[in-house]
Amino acid sequence: MTTALSHYLDSVRENLRLDLSLESEVIHELETHIEDELQELKDTGLSEEEATSTCLTLLGSAKLVARQIYETHSQGSWSQALFAAMPHMLFGLLFALNWWRGIGWLLGMLVLVLSMVVYGWWRGKPAWLFPWLGYSLLPVVAAGLLLLYLPQGWSWVAILLYIPMALLLVYAITVKTIRRDWLYSSLMLLPLPIIIGWFLAVEPVDKLPEYWLQRLQDFAPWIGLSFLALGVTVATFIRLRKRWLKVSVLVMSGLITLTMVAYYTEGRLSIPALLILIIVMLLLLLSPALVERTLRHAGQRPSV
Amino acid sequence: MAQRRELIKGSIDSLLLCLVVQQPMYGYQIIKELERRSQGYFKFKEGTLYPALHRLEEADLIQGKWQTLPSGRQRRYYHITEKGLYSLAAKRSQWLDFLVAMNLIIQPASD
Repeated sequence: MTTALSHYLDSVRENLRLDLSLESEVIHELETHIEDELQELKDTGLSEEEATSTCLTLLGSAKLVARQIYETHSQGSWSQALFAAMPHMLFGLLFALNWWRGIGWLLGMLVLVLSMVVYGWWRGKPAWLFPWLGYSLLPVVAAGLLLLYLPQGWSWVAILLYIPMALLLVYAITVKTIRRDWLYSSLMLLPLPIIIGWFLAVEPVDKLPEYWLQRLQDFAPWIGLSFLALGVTVATFIRLRKRWLKVSVLVMSGLITLTMVAYYTEGRLSIPALLILIIVMLLLLLSPALVERTLRHAGQRPSV
Repeated sequence: MAQRRELIKGSIDSLLLCLVVQQPMYGYQIIKELERRSQGYFKFKEGTLYPALHRLEEADLIQGKWQTLPSGRQRRYYHITEKGLYSLAAKRSQWLDFLVAMNLIIQPASD
């Protein structure tokens, strides 16, 4: 096959964003099609160059072909939507039903999240895995926040050691996810701005942990509600076919849930803090697209 | 041209099912067969054909299977499924009803 046609197939591959086995099937099928087309054109007396040029014209835009094939596979089933929404729903119920104070429930949730991540990874990273993957990183973030409460001096040592390692881990997982599809990375990071928002709204300065727990208890139903809203978002995301709609749903959901945090905490989250959180949310949800572009330009074709 | 495209767009699934019900076919063969049998009326592009084939496969109406030819080359042949047969029967019936109704209106009156 000529270089121009190989480039065409590479362009289709880059824009397909399907899982690896399906991607190679699609590319192989197009490859056999192109070979047949090329052969027939050459049999009519065209030179290699002319045949390639005609073939490329007949094929049409690589991006369009890739997008149309992507949209036939991008809609998950209802069971996949339910699986994907489940961690948000469970997390929401943990607060809505006041189970968050029970160590048994928390441990059970942690075991379930880790089991689902291992199972999903083993099953070839389907779309429903990514919300679970996001929650599996939560203990890493929570441990980092708890380091702030270590005795004076020790917390700095722990933070200096812990934060780079934690960031490295989160970065490695995020990049691996982006290589599959940057949208899944956004899906994974979706609850992060809301968790930060609730943390900022609930956390008192220079107050006893008991007071902190009391505040958490007060806000628990609203925390639960915001995570249930994320569950609905994720189920919608999985059921949609078009990428721009998927992006819009994530951004809209981020805006709505952060507004919910500000509204229910009755001014504890200041306007500047809310605006900063919205910017953080937009960065978290949309920057994976830029990282994907950078990875591509660096010659590391996203393919996991 | 745009009207023809719209007409074809609404009939792609029926056309593809009609072809693969007779014998399993691969993508390139489908394009050529459609063009030949319609005397050049249906000229599908790859960007139209493959998404449609994948959509029918997702809906379990057809099934693609890789086969290796004696020459060593591989082809993905599409076979119709049982669900596809039922769907085709329904589409055929709808199409014939539509055709009869259209003819009754569109043909000039004989008397």
